[in-house]
Amino acid sequence: MNSPETFDTLARVMRAWRLQPPRNPEFRAGVWQRLRAGQPLSWAGYVRAHAAPVAATLALAVAVGALTGREQARARVAAERAELAASYVKALDARSMVMP
Amino acid sequence: MRNFLVTGLVAVLACAGAFGVFYVMNGNRALHRAAREGDALAWLRAEFNPSPAQFRAIEKLHESYAVECGNHCAAIMQARQQAAPADQVAALEKTCVDAMTAHFRRVAELMPAGQGERYLATVLPRVAGYQHDAAPTLRATP
Repeated sequence: MNSPETFDTLARVMRAWRLQPPRNPEFRAGVWQRLRAGQPLSWAGYVRAHAAPVAATLALAVAVGALTGREQARARVAAERAELAASYVKALDARSMVMP
Repeated sequence: MRNFLVTGLVAVLACAGAFGVFYVMNGNRALHRAAREGDALAWLRAEFNPSPAQFRAIEKLHESYAVECGNHCAAIMQARQQAAPADQVAALEKTCVDAMTAHFRRVAELMPAGQGERYLATVLPRVAGYQHDAAPTLRATP
């Protein structure tokens, strides 16, 4: 069974063997996908994988917060200004003015 | 799902942070304090930014006007209580409003350049709604 002729034959076969697998451009992505499927993705990895929608969401959140904050502050200033101006004028209706 | 929720939480925090920063940036701390304390003179100082000397002069003007205004108001209240003729009450009210308008103009003259006009534009339209039914005080809230 392990005669020298057998080894020679095997060696010939091995020398003649040429493996030509088809190119698979998705091979690397497939490997990563299988790796990710096996373990939970970290948030940093999730952000990297969904960079555009995450960035858009954060930008929208900041814009909404900034606009709302600005409008709320301006509305409060306007309301206080109107209240104080009205009180100031009304306060000059004085019979026993109390000055601070 | 967990990462989606974390992203949502980060977005909410970013929104809240931006809200806080812009709320503070666009606020007016001196005005808030004046409103909280109901101090109309503090409002005057915060709103029209007079120099310390100008503010002292305005304060003195208010003090001296308080006496005059008190006399006017007392006369109006007395006329009302005695059910004086309407034209007499109206004349007293007109005297008071004229005095008040003149007082505001004198205060405006003490304001920094450009602020006097803004001050008059703020207070004069409110003189039209002037009523002799409020307790006299320079506190904005009773």
